[in-house]
Amino acid sequence: MSAATEECGVCVGDRLGTTDTYAAGEGVFVRDGFVIASVVGFQRLEPSADPGEKPTIHVASGDTRPLVPKPGDIVTVKISRVAQTAAHALIMCVGRQALGTEFKGVIRQQDVRSTEIDRVVIYDCFRPGDIVRAEVVSLGDARSYYLSTAKNELGVVYARSATAGTAMVPTSWVTMQCPETQAVEKRKVAKLESLVAA
Amino acid sequence: MEFVSPEGLRLDGRRPRELRRINCQLDVLSNADGSAIFEMGNTKVLAAVFGPHAVTRRSELREEGALVVCEYSMAAFSTGERRRRGKGDRRSTELSMVIRNTLEQAVITELLPRSQIDVYVQVLQADGGTRCAAINAAVLALAAAGVPLRDLVAGCAAGYLDGTALLDLNYTEDSGGGPDLCVALAPRLDSLYLVQMDNRLPVDTFQAVMELAREGCRTISGVMRAALLEHTQRLAVARGITAAV
Repeated sequence: MSAATEECGVCVGDRLGTTDTYAAGEGVFVRDGFVIASVVGFQRLEPSADPGEKPTIHVASGDTRPLVPKPGDIVTVKISRVAQTAAHALIMCVGRQALGTEFKGVIRQQDVRSTEIDRVVIYDCFRPGDIVRAEVVSLGDARSYYLSTAKNELGVVYARSATAGTAMVPTSWVTMQCPETQAVEKRKVAKLESLVAA
Repeated sequence: MEFVSPEGLRLDGRRPRELRRINCQLDVLSNADGSAIFEMGNTKVLAAVFGPHAVTRRSELREEGALVVCEYSMAAFSTGERRRRGKGDRRSTELSMVIRNTLEQAVITELLPRSQIDVYVQVLQADGGTRCAAINAAVLALAAAGVPLRDLVAGCAAGYLDGTALLDLNYTEDSGGGPDLCVALAPRLDSLYLVQMDNRLPVDTFQAVMELAREGCRTISGVMRAALLEHTQRLAVARGITAAV
């Protein structure tokens, strides 16, 4: 990210420039060749990394923008109910931003992991109360978003043990251990080291 | 009754093409995601926006965009005679629908699929032009909530009494029996989002009244824009994003 080059207040409907000179970013829309602000806030010009490309124009309001999950987003969810074919979850964060209200999501059996997807036992992957990193696959059915954990860096990131209720430590990609009782529980664990290294 | 005096002044001392005094307050409620009070002379309307959040009634869910739900009500103390006014009567239902239609066109709903935005509009003081004031208050509240909008839509009323086109009718003029035109305009896109009229009017007169109402909308939008910018600037200074100017 590059530093802001210009700061000035703009209002909804203000024309910020033409599409010949700017590319549209957050908080703007394009109409009839003009880049127009869609929120009230401050204009920010982000020079492109490539010298031949147009600079991107953003408008950001002081507080966070309203947000709904969309396909491809990495979300943080809390498992609410586990059934034989799917785990139901409440979406709490999209990316780094917390949602004001909870949206429902579901991790289906075939979306838990990328290998041996027909032999997944949901009860051995998630428990109610687990905090899980997942990806939004699609808008799903009328009830909930479809989520997937079929990647190394996706899965359970925080779980409490059933007996002691303390936070467990991951021991492999399918197991977590309670530091107090030494009990081993099964989970689809997220490999967060790969994220840190990347 | 004489609505325009020989000197060319209206009952409240305005000229025919003059708006009432406008006052906008933003983020007046701490619980709402965005809220605003829009005052126009003695008309005062409060709007509160909640959302976007998950759709509460699943049958109304829209795959491609956000659902705008609007509720218009008048406070019992809003008129000269105190009267119990609910949100369920015919007038309120119709106005809720009108405001909802206008807002659905103003909001870029495609950006917020499968979500719902609640807009509650309450008239605190009614002195004519509540329909337009309600739209203005709702648009201000949406902008304050950070909901993406196509344009800063503004509403304005105009009428035709005593052979003169009058801008922004008050209650006495409104009940004068003449035609009353209510218009909501997206000023930058120059597209009309709402046109409503009661009573009949010859075509050429209608053109004049319509142009007057559009002019009023542009002016009101300008005032709203200034209020929003000032509010954003104040918020930014309070949060230390920019230095005080």
